[in-house]
Amino acid sequence: MIRQTCPGENGTRESRPHLIEFDIRGQVYPSTLLAALREIDSHRERIRSGAVKLLFRTDNPHCTKTIPDAVSGMGHDVSVSRDSDHYLIIIGRDT
Amino acid sequence: MWTGERVETATYFLLIANGTVLGISAGFIMHRSGFCLSGMFRDLFLFRQVTMLRFLYLTVFFSSVLFEATRLSGLLAFYPFPFFGPPSVTNAIGGCLFGIGMVLAGGCVVGTLYKLGAGSMLSLAAFAGLIIGSTVYAEIHPFWSGLRSATTFGGTATLPQLLGIAPLPLVLVLWAVSWYFYRKWHRAGQLQLESRAGGFLQPLTAALLLTCLGIWSAIVTGMPIGITTAYAKMGAYVETLFPGDHVGSLPFFTDISRQYVNPLTRASLGWSAGPWFDAVSAMQFPLIVGIALGGALSAVLLREYRIYYRAPVRQYLSAIVGGVIMGMASRMTPGCNVWHLCGGLPVFAWQSLLFFVGLIPGAWLGSLLLVKVIVK
Repeated sequence: MIRQTCPGENGTRESRPHLIEFDIRGQVYPSTLLAALREIDSHRERIRSGAVKLLFRTDNPHCTKTIPDAVSGMGHDVSVSRDSDHYLIIIGRDT
Repeated sequence: MWTGERVETATYFLLIANGTVLGISAGFIMHRSGFCLSGMFRDLFLFRQVTMLRFLYLTVFFSSVLFEATRLSGLLAFYPFPFFGPPSVTNAIGGCLFGIGMVLAGGCVVGTLYKLGAGSMLSLAAFAGLIIGSTVYAEIHPFWSGLRSATTFGGTATLPQLLGIAPLPLVLVLWAVSWYFYRKWHRAGQLQLESRAGGFLQPLTAALLLTCLGIWSAIVTGMPIGITTAYAKMGAYVETLFPGDHVGSLPFFTDISRQYVNPLTRASLGWSAGPWFDAVSAMQFPLIVGIALGGALSAVLLREYRIYYRAPVRQYLSAIVGGVIMGMASRMTPGCNVWHLCGGLPVFAWQSLLFFVGLIPGAWLGSLLLVKVIVK
């Protein structure tokens, strides 16, 4: 899983949350869901506070339903969008 | 008046064309709806989810009703379907191993193909495992064949035959029970799924379409959709590339006693796992290629086709090992989940009932291994 961090637009944390990116394309389901849940759990407090958002790149259409369903149950905001040939699932809220 | 040779040739063309169209259709439908039979059982044990299992149940229900309607209309030439025999303990053992294999492989024999077609290299690894496993089975075939014979019980292939009745009363009972569940799920809104995936095909629609494909297969070929003998045949072809005549020494590959009779042309063709062209080649190779093409077509039209190969090594090993286990199990049973769940269960075949009984603990064990060993 490739992981990248993107600082806020002004290089500060105060203006927008950090975006931590995970590339789970090509992996077998349900490892994609389990990996996503593991990362969400390890960052849960920072997601709730708005300090970070997690972005998952996946090619598995099943994940576009199962990850949001699981995340919504945890009380986090989630959005799903399309990026060329795969999907982006973003978890977390803007501060 | 056509000669026997012309009828034979025409039958081969019929099987190839039919298999190609059926395969592309099935691969497309399953890719669009995410109709993964392996995932249905895996999600039950991993996440306590029965969402997709409802649609498998409905597929069995729809198939049961439509197979019976087709039989009563006189369109089914052979009933029960060919190659369904009396039950044996080996059906359940094979089902259990198949359940383990399909979860570790990330898809069953059909799911592997449409995902491979859509660009998954993990599924390519599972596909290779399927061929290997089906070929390795030939080494234990004499032992397993003896075990099968020793543990075969009863003299009937289906529950209606045991009861000495036509299938219709049992189908009506299944209808009554299934109608109750269908209405219950429908009222709870559980038969229409929300999805953010592009081009999503509702699984209920997929269940109906796949049932129709199964009925079509039964009318044109005389049997439900099945593809696993072809994996063994592929393995035999590969093995002939190596020096020596090991293939020729294995009874599993050299057995040519089985005959396939096409219900439309009445041509009698050979049916074997050996490395030569026969009914298995004409019927199942186009299905295999077609399912992969159907998955590819669906992915291309959605602009989602891409070769995905970046996955942890553990997942590749799991896919290969799962494929090997599935390949062996498909010969040990014999038959795969599609053959038994969508073909045999709807006609109350004993072998399929036992396969299903074995599949459940197998899928549970496979799910446990997946979480404890592969994804940790």
